Amino acid sequence: MQPPDPDQLGPAVAFDFTAKRAGINYDTILSVVTRACAFSILLMLAALLIVLSSAAMPTIKAFGFSFLTGHEWRSNELEQPRRNADGKLVFDADGEQIVDTIPPVFGALPVMWGTAVTSVLALGFAIPLSFGTALFLIRIAPGKLVGPVSFLVEFLAAIPSIAYGIWGLFVFGPFMQTYLEPWLNSLFGSVPGLSFLHFDGMPTGRDMLCGGLLLGIMIVPIITAISRDVLNGVPRAQVEGTTALGATWWQSSKEMLKFSRSGLFGAVMLGLARAAGETMAITMVIGNNNQIKASPFAPAQSMASLLANEFAEASGGMQRSALIEVALILLLMSLTFNVVARKLVVGKGARTAAAH
Amino acid sequence: MSAIPEVTFNLSPNATLGHRVDRVKSNVMLALCIGCAAMALFLLVLVISFLAYRGASSISWAFFTQAPSGDPHSPGGMLHAIVGTAVLISMASLFGIPVGMLAGVYLSEYEVGSRIAGPVRFISDVLAGVPSIVVGILGYELLVRPIGNYNAWAGALALAFIMIPIVSRTTEEMLRLVPDSYRQASIALGATKASTILQVVIPSATGSIVTGIMLSIARIAGETAPLIFTTLGSRLIPFYANADQGFELSKWQDLNQPFPSLTKQVYDYATGPYAEQKNVAMAGILVLIVLIFCVNVSIRLVARRHANAK
Amino acid sequence: MVQLLKRAGIAMFTSLAIAGTCYAETRLQGAGATFPNPIYQKWVTEYQKANPDVKIDYQSIGSGGGIKGITEHTIDFAGSDAPMNKKEIEAAKDPVVHIPTVAGAVVMAYNLPGFSGDLKLTGPIVADIFTGKISKWNDAKIAEVNSGASLPDLNITVAYRTDGSGTTFVFSNFLATQSEDFKTSVGASKQVKWPVGQGGKGTEGVTAIVQAVPGAIGYVEVNYALANKIPFALLQNKSGKFVKASLESVSAAGAGAVDAMKDSLAVNIWNQPGEEAYPISAFTYIIVYKDLGYLKSPEKAKELVKFLKWSIGGEGQSLASSIDYAPLAAPVKAKAVEAIDALTFGGAPLK
Repeated sequence: MQPPDPDQLGPAVAFDFTAKRAGINYDTILSVVTRACAFSILLMLAALLIVLSSAAMPTIKAFGFSFLTGHEWRSNELEQPRRNADGKLVFDADGEQIVDTIPPVFGALPVMWGTAVTSVLALGFAIPLSFGTALFLIRIAPGKLVGPVSFLVEFLAAIPSIAYGIWGLFVFGPFMQTYLEPWLNSLFGSVPGLSFLHFDGMPTGRDMLCGGLLLGIMIVPIITAISRDVLNGVPRAQVEGTTALGATWWQSSKEMLKFSRSGLFGAVMLGLARAAGETMAITMVIGNNNQIKASPFAPAQSMASLLANEFAEASGGMQRSALIEVALILLLMSLTFNVVARKLVVGKGARTAAAH
Repeated sequence: MSAIPEVTFNLSPNATLGHRVDRVKSNVMLALCIGCAAMALFLLVLVISFLAYRGASSISWAFFTQAPSGDPHSPGGMLHAIVGTAVLISMASLFGIPVGMLAGVYLSEYEVGSRIAGPVRFISDVLAGVPSIVVGILGYELLVRPIGNYNAWAGALALAFIMIPIVSRTTEEMLRLVPDSYRQASIALGATKASTILQVVIPSATGSIVTGIMLSIARIAGETAPLIFTTLGSRLIPFYANADQGFELSKWQDLNQPFPSLTKQVYDYATGPYAEQKNVAMAGILVLIVLIFCVNVSIRLVARRHANAK
Repeated sequence: MVQLLKRAGIAMFTSLAIAGTCYAETRLQGAGATFPNPIYQKWVTEYQKANPDVKIDYQSIGSGGGIKGITEHTIDFAGSDAPMNKKEIEAAKDPVVHIPTVAGAVVMAYNLPGFSGDLKLTGPIVADIFTGKISKWNDAKIAEVNSGASLPDLNITVAYRTDGSGTTFVFSNFLATQSEDFKTSVGASKQVKWPVGQGGKGTEGVTAIVQAVPGAIGYVEVNYALANKIPFALLQNKSGKFVKASLESVSAAGAGAVDAMKDSLAVNIWNQPGEEAYPISAFTYIIVYKDLGYLKSPEKAKELVKFLKWSIGGEGQSLASSIDYAPLAAPVKAKAVEAIDALTFGGAPLK
C-alpha cells in the first residue's frame, strides 16, 4: 500500500490559521485583539474612578472633608424664621417676618455608621459559622457527606441577594420583631452596663440588627467556600505531623487555622467587601432612616441602601453629586477590602473567589 | 518554604490531667464546630425551603405566558420580565463573553514579556468585588444621561461590566490547566501561536470555560441593583406587538426604552403592600433559584465528567 | 466560513435596521408619583385595550423622579402631586404645564391591634407624632380626642417616604400649617428629614410598613389603605369637624379650587374651609412641556394628547371613582381640557 502523497492532501485542519495570505496575519490579529480586551479591564476600572470622581466634584468642593464627618443628611431646604439673640422673631421694614432659607446639607456619617455596624454584626455572626463549616467539611465530615454539603454551600453562595432580602422581609424580620427583639431590648434596658444599646421605641424587625444578621447569613457560604479551599491547601504532612506528636483534634485544627491565617483573613475580607456593598437584601430590612443611634434595634441606613432609595430621583446638582460621592466612598472602600483580600488569597480558591 | 508550626505539648509523665483537659477541650470544640456547621446549613436550607415553598405554591402557567395586568389584586403574569431578563442576559453575554474570554486568553497565553498582564489579573479580581449598585450608577452616568432615557443597552452593558472580570479569570484559570505539552506539540508541528490557541488549547478546555461562563450568567441573572438605574423597569412586553402578531423581532426600538427584568419586577412587587403581587414575586424568585440550581448542577456534572475522563 | 458569517451579519443588521424604522407603533413612557399609580395603571390598561397600536407604560417612582425625568427628557410625561418649584421650573427651561388629573386624599393609616372603631386625630397631634413629641398611642392628647376609646400602651412607629414624593410634599405642607414647630424644624418639601421613624419606598413601601408593624402610622394615599384593608383615621378639618376621607369629602375640598387656577392649574387644596372638606386633599398632575417638540415625532404628540384627553376629559374620569379617586369637578375639568388643547408641537397647534 502506497503512503498518501503529501502534495495531494488537503489542509490538516478545517481552517488554516497558518496561512498569511491576503495580508491577514492571524497571529498579529489575535495578539492585538486579546491585548485590547485585557487592556479594557484596566479601562473599566479607570472609567469607574474617573466618572464617579468627576460627577462628585461639586459636593467635594462644597463640603470637603466635612462630608465625611457631617451627621446630618437633609436634601431639602428649610425655611426658618430668623430669631434674634433673645429668641424673638425678627421682622423687616415692612413688618414681614424674615425667613432664612437654610440650604440642604449632606453628611455621610450616618450611612457610614450604618454600613459599619451592619458589617461588623454580619462578620461577627458569619465568621464562627463559616470557619466551623469549613473545618467540618475538611476534617469531620465523612467522605460521602463532603460532596453534597460542598455543593449546597456553593449553590447557596450563588443565590441572588434579592432572594435573601425577600426572606428577610417576609420571614426573618417578622420573626425577630415578634420573638427576639422585644425580649433583647428589655434585657438591654434592664442591665445597667448595656443600657446604651436600648432602643427607645418598639423594635420592628427593620433595623441594624436584622440587617446585620441577614448579611451575615448571606456571606456565610462565600466565606465557607473560600476558607474550605484555603484549608484544603494546607499540606497533609503538616496536619499528620501534629497528630503524630499526640495533638488532639482541636489542637491540630488550630494549627491548620494558624497556618492558613492569611488566606482565612483574605476570605473574611472578601466576605466583608460583599457585606458592605450589598444592596438589595439590606434595603428591605434596615429601616431606611439616616440617623446615628447606638442601639442595634434602631432603623438606620447603609451607603448602598441610601443609593438605592434616593438616587432614582435625586434632583440634579447637589443631591445627585452627594449621592455619587457616597458611591465613590463605597467604591474605594470595597476596592481596599478586595485589594487586601486578594493579596492574601493569592492562588488559593481563586475560582471560587472569582465567581463571587 | 513554610515554617514548621510550633506545637508545644506537655509530654511529662505527670501530665495526665493536662492531657485530659486538652481532650475535653478538643471534644468541646469539635462539638461546637459541628454545631456551627449545623446552624449554618440549617439557616441556609431554611432560606431555600421558604423561597421554594412559597414560589411553588404561587407558580402557574399564567406566570410564564401572561403580561402584567393593571390590577394589583390579580397581577397577571411575568412574561414581560422573563423576556426582559432573557434579552438582557443575551445582550450582556454578546459583549461580555467575547471580551472576557479574550482577556483570559491574553492573561494565560501572552503573559510572558507582558507588562500589563499582572496588573490586569489583579484588577480583574478586584473589579469582581465592586458593589453592583456602583456599576449601576456608572451605567446611568455614562449611558442613560447622555442618551436621554432609560434603555436596555445601559442595563446590558452594566451587566457585562460585572461579567467580564468573572469570565476572564475563570477562562484564564482553565486555560492554565491545559498541559504545556499540548502547546509544545502544536508548535512543533509548525502551527502558529494563533492556531495553537484557537485550535488546540481552547478546545481542550471548552468544558471548563463553559462552566465559568455559566457561573457568570447565573450571577448576572440575579442582579437587581445595576438594573434599577439603567433600565428603570417596565410593564410592557419587549418585542411583542399585539395578540395577533405576537413577537416581532423588528421591534428592536424597544431596546431604547425602559426595559423590564425579572429581578426589578420582583423587587417592585415584593416591597409593595398587595398580597397577590407578593405571590407573583415569590414565583419569580423560584424561577431564578431553579435556574441557578440547574447551572450549579451542570457545572458539577461537567467537572465530574472531566475528572473521570482523565 | 468567516466570509459567510460576515455577510450574514451585515444582512441581518441591515434588515433589522430597515424593518425597525418601518414599524408603525407609538410608545409613550410616563413616570412619577405613586399617589395616583392605581388609577394611572387602570387608565393605561383600558386605553391600550381600545387602542392597540399605542403602547403606554407608567412607572411609579415618586413625584421627584417624575419631575427629574421630564426635565431631562428621559420620559414623555411626568406624574406629580407636587407642582414644580421655582428651581425646578428654572431647570426645565421651557414652559411646563401642570394638568390636574384626579384628586385624592392623604390619610393616616395605622396598625393598632386590639383597637376597633374609628380613630380621631387632629392636625397638631399628627404633627407632634411625626416630630416625635408624641411617642405612645395612649398619650393624653390622643385620648382626649378619642374620648371613651381605650388605646393600647404601644409605641408609635412612624412610617415615611424615603423617595422624593409629592405625597410627602402635600402632607408636610399640611403639617406646616398645623404646627409652627414642624414648619421650622422639618419643613415642607418633596423630601424632608423626618426626625423619627422608618422609611419605605413609594406609597407601596409605606403601606407595607404599616401592614407589618404593630403600632405603626404612616401617610398614604387613601386607595392603598382601602385596597389593603388598613384602617385610617378621621381628621379634624379647618371647620373643626372630624371628617373621613372619601370621594365626597375630597371633592368638597376641591370645590373652590377653580377660582385659584389663574396662571397655573397647580392649586393646593389642603386645609380648605368647609364642613365637609377633608383636610389633606390634593390634586395630582401630569406635567408636560407646553410645546411637545421634545417628543420628536408629531404622531407621538398626537397620541399623547389623545390619551390625555381620554383620561382627563373623557372616559378615564368615570373609572376614577370606582377606585376612590375623586374625578375632576366640571369647571376644573374644563380648564384642564383647555390646557391640553393649548399644547403645541414645534410651535404649531396640534390640530
